[in-house]
Amino acid sequence: MTPKIPHESARKHVTGEAVYVDDMLVNNQLLIGKVVYSPHAHAKIKSFHLDVARNLPGVYAVIRYQDIPGENQMGPVVHDELCLAKDEVNCIGQAVFLIAAESEEICREAEKLIKIEYKPSEAILSIEQAIAKNNLMGPERKIETGDVDKALKKCKHKISGSLTTGAQEHWYLETQAAVCIPGEDNEMKVYSSTQHPSETQAIVAGVLGINRNDVVVEMRRMGGAFGGKETQANHVAAWSALLAKATGQPVKIRLFRDDDQIMTGKRHPYLINYKAGFDNKGKLIAVEFELNANGGMATDLSFAILERAMFHVDNAYYIPNLRVIGRVWKTNQPSNTAFRGFGGPQGMAAIETIVDRIARQLKMDAAEIRRRNFYGINDRNLTHYDQKVENNHLKMMFDRILHSSEYLKRRQDINEFNSKNEFKKKGMSLTPVKFGISFTTSFLNQAGALVNIYQDGTVLVNHGGTEMGQGLHTKIQQIAAAELGISFEKIKLTATDTSKVPNTSATAASSGTDLNGMAVKNAIDKLKSRMIPFIVDHFNEKGEIIKSQIRAIHFINDCIIDSENPARKIDFAKAVNMCYIKQVPLSATGFYRTPDIYFNREKGKGKPFHYYVFGMAVSEVLLDTLTGYHKILRTDILHDVGDSLNPAIDMGQVQGGYIQGVGWCTTEECKWDEKGNLLNHSPDTYKIPSIQDIPEDFRCSLLEDVPNPSTIRKSKAVGEPPFMLAFSAWLAVKDAISAVADHQIEPEFSIPATNEVILLSLEKLRSIKKQ
Amino acid sequence: MNSCIGFILDEKLIEIDFSKERKFTPTTTVLNYLRDLPNHKGVKEGCAEGDCGACTIVIAELDGRNGLQYRAVNSCLIFLPKLHGKWLITVENIKNPDGSLHPVQQAMVDYHGSQCGFCTPGFIMSMFALYKSNLPNTRAVIEDALTGNLCRCTGYQPIIEAAEFALQDRKPDHFSKIEKEIIAILKKIVLKSMQMATDRQKYFMPVSVTELLYIKNQNPDAIIINGASDIALRVTKKYELIPSIIDTMQIEELHVIRKSIDHLYCGSAITLNQLMEVSREWYPAIYEACSVFGSKQIREMATIGGNLGTASPIGDLPPVLAAYKTDVVVVSEKGARIIPVDEFICGYRKTSLKKGEIIKGIKIPKPMDGTIIKFYKVSKRKDLDISTVSAAFRLTPDKEKKINEIKIIFGGMAEMTKHAVKTEKFLKGKSRTRETIEQAMPILEEEFTPISDARSSAQFRSVIAKNLLLRFFDDLADT
Repeated sequence: MTPKIPHESARKHVTGEAVYVDDMLVNNQLLIGKVVYSPHAHAKIKSFHLDVARNLPGVYAVIRYQDIPGENQMGPVVHDELCLAKDEVNCIGQAVFLIAAESEEICREAEKLIKIEYKPSEAILSIEQAIAKNNLMGPERKIETGDVDKALKKCKHKISGSLTTGAQEHWYLETQAAVCIPGEDNEMKVYSSTQHPSETQAIVAGVLGINRNDVVVEMRRMGGAFGGKETQANHVAAWSALLAKATGQPVKIRLFRDDDQIMTGKRHPYLINYKAGFDNKGKLIAVEFELNANGGMATDLSFAILERAMFHVDNAYYIPNLRVIGRVWKTNQPSNTAFRGFGGPQGMAAIETIVDRIARQLKMDAAEIRRRNFYGINDRNLTHYDQKVENNHLKMMFDRILHSSEYLKRRQDINEFNSKNEFKKKGMSLTPVKFGISFTTSFLNQAGALVNIYQDGTVLVNHGGTEMGQGLHTKIQQIAAAELGISFEKIKLTATDTSKVPNTSATAASSGTDLNGMAVKNAIDKLKSRMIPFIVDHFNEKGEIIKSQIRAIHFINDCIIDSENPARKIDFAKAVNMCYIKQVPLSATGFYRTPDIYFNREKGKGKPFHYYVFGMAVSEVLLDTLTGYHKILRTDILHDVGDSLNPAIDMGQVQGGYIQGVGWCTTEECKWDEKGNLLNHSPDTYKIPSIQDIPEDFRCSLLEDVPNPSTIRKSKAVGEPPFMLAFSAWLAVKDAISAVADHQIEPEFSIPATNEVILLSLEKLRSIKKQ
Repeated sequence: MNSCIGFILDEKLIEIDFSKERKFTPTTTVLNYLRDLPNHKGVKEGCAEGDCGACTIVIAELDGRNGLQYRAVNSCLIFLPKLHGKWLITVENIKNPDGSLHPVQQAMVDYHGSQCGFCTPGFIMSMFALYKSNLPNTRAVIEDALTGNLCRCTGYQPIIEAAEFALQDRKPDHFSKIEKEIIAILKKIVLKSMQMATDRQKYFMPVSVTELLYIKNQNPDAIIINGASDIALRVTKKYELIPSIIDTMQIEELHVIRKSIDHLYCGSAITLNQLMEVSREWYPAIYEACSVFGSKQIREMATIGGNLGTASPIGDLPPVLAAYKTDVVVVSEKGARIIPVDEFICGYRKTSLKKGEIIKGIKIPKPMDGTIIKFYKVSKRKDLDISTVSAAFRLTPDKEKKINEIKIIFGGMAEMTKHAVKTEKFLKGKSRTRETIEQAMPILEEEFTPISDARSSAQFRSVIAKNLLLRFFDDLADT
């Protein structure tokens, strides 16, 4: 396989030629759509007047929920999310009316002419308020192993506490966008910036009241997604489709940045309560977790996210007695949704906090506590949901990164620095990641592909995965090239298209390449097995004594050869043409389902994951304890991607994931006022990392020579796991804070650790120290 | 009156006459203009407020030395008339005429600097402007040039590597080859007094201060702009129609920088980037303040006059200018007067400008030897973030190391940038001991009642304010 191939669209990215939904040239009948949304977190709609807006020149349609021809519904799993509000609104940003007009300006003028009278009522705006009102989204969930209560009672050392983790805005550079073009009869063509074209198709068909075979969704590329376009891209597509249906003209909706931030869901904020017991050596004996998620106003994917959080409260550690209870709370906020890590980060933040506290309490190095608690190879290797941790690289990676990062020496240097500096403190932390790969809803682990070989020997590959920047299409192109033994340039990937590959799963759960790569391979295997008998016949045509055998035919170097008689070979393009003449079908579909995974939700036991990904990071920070400002001085990462399909692309995911995680852990903060208005609704106040926020010294490497059995070309998924490597930076900051009180006092800490959180924590430590 | 602007795009002279134009108005942004064209969709809108850089373009203009100066700017914040007499370069123009990639593009491909690709055109433009400059390819220079470009995918590391590579050996590119031709066209575009009026809007571009004052008198409600990096937000975020605008871009008198033995004079239209460069030697604290002001793209447009005139309570420049005892020179048709900067700002977004007066420039005295001036900014993110709190300190120690004079000016702590008067009074004449500082800290905390907002809580602001005093004296100990 050719390594380090640039992204298949790289040339188009740097020249500005890459086309995103908003860039498409549509004919001059294109109308612009706008969503009129609720300014109240919870209110009754008392009255409204649309006629004045409708009569404004240039306005083509103003529609409300009664105008929806199909079902007023866009909930992806549970049907509890209205497409347009009826007589009540349940969050700020909830869609109430839709406008289609000639221009954005006219849309805005029309919006001003719509008079709506609301009667606001009491709103639930936090997890705490939801708990107080017992406003559960659904039944609580539990996974348990061992006897937690009994074990906790016996423990010599115990800690308990709570941790809050904040919302995170996806901040994809390209905001949500869709163009819908009505066709003959009921047909609707949808260009949507979606991670899940099949679901977008289903929701559009649903609101229009038409069959799914009337809707085609096409997705060429997204300008970033990170989970934010897994379900919520459906909304913009559904609204555009309704307006296109109402006007009979193409309609585009592209959300303005502030509207996008106000209207769409975020990473779920969590409130996590925990109790942990451990022994003198820092080994975990029993832990109890209570996870409380802010689901927002509708279910969306909250329970799947909760489930993943519950699966990851162990992170890399064996905990013989563990109970995790999970609850999703309903609040008057936009429905929170998928975001890289999908609950994993929230669950892992809790156990990493516990381990960090154990180290401080026992006055031992936290890295050593981590090592002692790692899952074992031959024993101590069963998770709380009974899956065995196989092919475990934790200890090997720990030893390597401890050495390569010079952890022990730097720890001494840091101690020395801290003893000499009153106001500047350094901190360092080593944190591991163990992340399960597969959709935890097992049936979703399926994928389809369509591979066409044309007579000139070029190949067109289509599959159910979507390209959002992660390099999926590049990897698929490489896989197809390797499987067909032809050069990369002969293969073209098309836009994802629901009419080519139906019933696909979202490109999510890091599984895009695992699933779709296998489906593409399956299609190619079919094509090869159809072609091979004709190739054998061709090789044997001349009546050679030693016959060519089917088993010996290989596709390599743009040729098809008999490996047992290497002189017999035929150019791939010629072979294709020959097969065509022999009436061999040169188009095949492929399919893949992940084998041997299952999970029993009632019992909380099973094997939900095909395999685990491992990673480890060491981060060092410098903190100004007077201002809370900190800088990451150095980060070392060692990450496991199996046999990398493309080390450059994998490295991009590792570095990018880490930095995005650093953002969630430090500067990215969502705040709401007492009425439920999001205060940080633009990059003016919502701060994702900039180029100056990355480590001064950033050393990343991929773990080599660890092929992953039973995946496409022995690779591993890479999208989400690196995100959680950022805990090393988060806890390095805590370590630096802790140094102010010589690591004797447990600092207050949460996610995000903004400079405000840091400074107030420091102030508290200083005042305790003075007493 | 002339209502037609001329600029170069795709190597051709484009003219827009606002008296005839139906589609675009004088406050149409360059971003919206470009995205309306079929062949410039590479310019992206990420935020429409100058915070993400996806819309970055390069404007090249005559540098006064028979050459061109290339500046990367946010097209989302630039009104069309500002293109007058300039060469507008977009990402579509960067590749070589034979279709091969420009070195900055090739490096971004080779170093895997793009993932989703949406921010990439902006990065390319910032890197291209850097390529055309004579700045070195150090990490600090690259980071400064790319701070205004957000990327959510890569974690920036490969982008830094790409920039380092592309900039290490800068050969003449295809832009160099046509510069002469471009310069000839640009020279033909006459800079003259212009008035672009539609039925709902007037946009003036005078060429002298006299003319500016006359127009201002005739149109007392007109907003004076230069970079418009702040005013443009009223159009791009609030969708306001600003009825009357006077753009000072063409007034040479306002673009003056004069350095004399004991002071520096800067015209009000001097950009923050220019101020940054010119303050490096005598005014390190101003340099420091500029270096954390917005992004390079913003600093290319934002001006001294704009920053003072907006009188923001956060006040990026006013605290540090006050620490240098800067005077603001204002003029009206009646004549000029000089106002110390801390009297110039007199309330929440209020200045002491009288009717008919405009900011002409600032005069910054060179501090006496031994005077220590420092600037601090605390924000959630260090760069390209608006201050939560900013502070400037001026200390003149006497021979016994006592505090002879101290000035402490805060931004973000009150409705306007303000001196910590009580703290100043307390510290004056005292010796510079830790004890003194610790006694002063609660006084400082007491004398402000800051607010809570999207950026931080009031409590945080109070703690920061007193800690910055300690930070200042702690930093002095190092020197």
